Amino acid sequence: MKTKAIVIVCSFILLGGLIGLNSSLAAEPYHLGVNLAITGTGALYCKDGIDAIKLAVDEINAQGGFLGKHPIKLFIRDTHTKPDVGVREAKDLILRDKVRCILGSYSSAVAAAFKPVCQEYKVLHIPAISNSENITKINFSPYTYQVVPNSYMQAKAVVLGVAELAKKKGWKEYVTLASDYEWGRSTQENTVQLLKQFAPQLKLKKEFWPRLGETQFTSYITAIMAQKPDFAYGCLASKDNVAFNQQAKAYGFFDKIPYPGSLISVSELIIQAKTLTRGLIGLCRAPFFAHMDVPMMADFVKNFKAKHNRYPSDWAVMEYDAVYVLKQGIEKAGSIDTEKVKGALKGATIDTCRGRLFFRRIDNMLSCSSYIGVVADDPKYPFPIYHDLVEVTGPESWRPEAEIVAARAAKK
Amino acid sequence: MDISLIFSQFLSGLSRGMMLFLIASGLSLIFGVMNILNFAHATLWLAGAYFCYTFWYLMQDYGFGLWVSIALASLALALIGWFIEVVLIRRVYKRELPEQLLLTYGLILVIGDLIKLIWGVEDKIIARPPLVAGPVFFFGIPFDSYFIFVILVGFAVAVGLWWFLKKTRYGHIVRAAVFSREMVSALGIPIPRIYTGVFVLGIFIAGLAGAVQAPVGSITLGMDMAVVVQAFCVVVIGGFGSLLGTFVGSMIVGEVYAFSILFWPQGALVLIFIVTAFILIVRPWGLFGTPMRA
Repeated sequence: MKTKAIVIVCSFILLGGLIGLNSSLAAEPYHLGVNLAITGTGALYCKDGIDAIKLAVDEINAQGGFLGKHPIKLFIRDTHTKPDVGVREAKDLILRDKVRCILGSYSSAVAAAFKPVCQEYKVLHIPAISNSENITKINFSPYTYQVVPNSYMQAKAVVLGVAELAKKKGWKEYVTLASDYEWGRSTQENTVQLLKQFAPQLKLKKEFWPRLGETQFTSYITAIMAQKPDFAYGCLASKDNVAFNQQAKAYGFFDKIPYPGSLISVSELIIQAKTLTRGLIGLCRAPFFAHMDVPMMADFVKNFKAKHNRYPSDWAVMEYDAVYVLKQGIEKAGSIDTEKVKGALKGATIDTCRGRLFFRRIDNMLSCSSYIGVVADDPKYPFPIYHDLVEVTGPESWRPEAEIVAARAAKK
Repeated sequence: MDISLIFSQFLSGLSRGMMLFLIASGLSLIFGVMNILNFAHATLWLAGAYFCYTFWYLMQDYGFGLWVSIALASLALALIGWFIEVVLIRRVYKRELPEQLLLTYGLILVIGDLIKLIWGVEDKIIARPPLVAGPVFFFGIPFDSYFIFVILVGFAVAVGLWWFLKKTRYGHIVRAAVFSREMVSALGIPIPRIYTGVFVLGIFIAGLAGAVQAPVGSITLGMDMAVVVQAFCVVVIGGFGSLLGTFVGSMIVGEVYAFSILFWPQGALVLIFIVTAFILIVRPWGLFGTPMRA
């Protein structure tokens, strides 16, 4: 009787152990956090980004999840485009929802604010919209991998184009108009510095700093026109950009002052299909139509359009890529363990919608391109796209490593 | 300094000031008469812009679409204003100011979420009719033709409100109610009905302002928070409850902003707050206001 009882107890223990072992081998879900601006000034870009993330997650989960056995569970939070809210939500995602990676954010100030939180809690952080170069240049975090061309790369791409135009047209003076926050400041500063280097004949006449979320640009438009610069360089994003374009057009601004290289993403091309001035020279970060020859992009556009009945914006492309960056990092690591994935992504070559790219080791910056082109109608699409598109690759445009080392040393 | 440059910046400040006047006049009217500080005023202004978009969207193929949409959006907001006053605001007239603020702050959240539910998070854009899509020139200086319409609407509202308050019997009653609700009530005039009318009028103007703003840029969530601070600056400078003060305050804020962009672009907003703080210190009831009632 005694022996029988021992056998039964041992059997239960063994069975319990096996069940436990089995369940731990089978599918620990991968908790993925998204910390984007669902409301506020960044909502326009982030909605597309979230739709693309969901699409990527559905595709990966249809194959069983990461490594075929870790289904992804999404936790989406709204930063309201405020750094304090971004930090709060990031902490909540990490501590309550136990996420292993956070995608975000829209605002560079928000991304920079919660980057140290991710580092402290050893959680991966993949910004795909916010692109201040300071996110990876200084206060480096080995947990942060940036998959959007940063503000320096974008500025350099514009500068190369503007320097060429300045030489051709004999431009001498210019003004800048940039949103008064982290991204606007850092992009404007980089552009001005690079213009000094590549087009030393150009003189910066005046700087204008509208606040983020400005609704009425008339005073800026008339002040810029009064300066009579040879050209104006703008660093406005999202709805600020839309409002400026609408109002500047009504002033005949673009007829009088060249405005090359301002951010006109696919979102603006779609939203302002009827009203956007044709012939503008714009800059964007990941236009789908530039890479329709890449099978991953062609499939993404087809699936995104089928699901949402619209074309994906730059923001959708980059957030989609962010999920697949994570997937390939996990596959390379052979594990969902964050330390292993972090190590696997270091210097890794990644297949993205924008082609095969790699992470630079010094700053975990993806070698992604910036794109400059002329806004023009195209019979293939119900909105204007870029013609004469120039792709400036990551290695052509990113900051030299020596400067990054110097910047980090100076920061210390 | 080129005189055309000064004139150009003046026009720009005038249009900005008029836009602010349209927003702030309803806010000031409601506070002046009812002693209710409506935090949700700018959110209702935003709702006016969204309503305008919807009406315009339905009539976009017609040349008159935008103009009719502006009128319909204002009326829609008046209706919402009536509902809010009857259901909510009426119950807090006799409550302390913090309770009133809490209620109207709650309204910001509720209306903001309703807007998100109904219209989504995407920006909305109204394409202007050709008549107001391009520039007009004053002595060779370009000016957005739509802002002529904005300035005209601003003047119309200012004159209309002045005429209503000074020249009509109802206006006289409203002004009397500002000074002594008890006396007006003792004369057999129903104060609640007067208050409802004033609140509806204030929100009608907020709706009109939102609808007029709609074709200026894109309509998006969060716009209300961007303007509410400047609207409060206007009424603080001009004096709560003073129509003339609101008008002058709007012009001060608009022109200070426009000219500081010309001379000191980095400090445009700072200057407005410095002016506001100065007025608060030396004359807390504003340039044309009267000391607040207890």
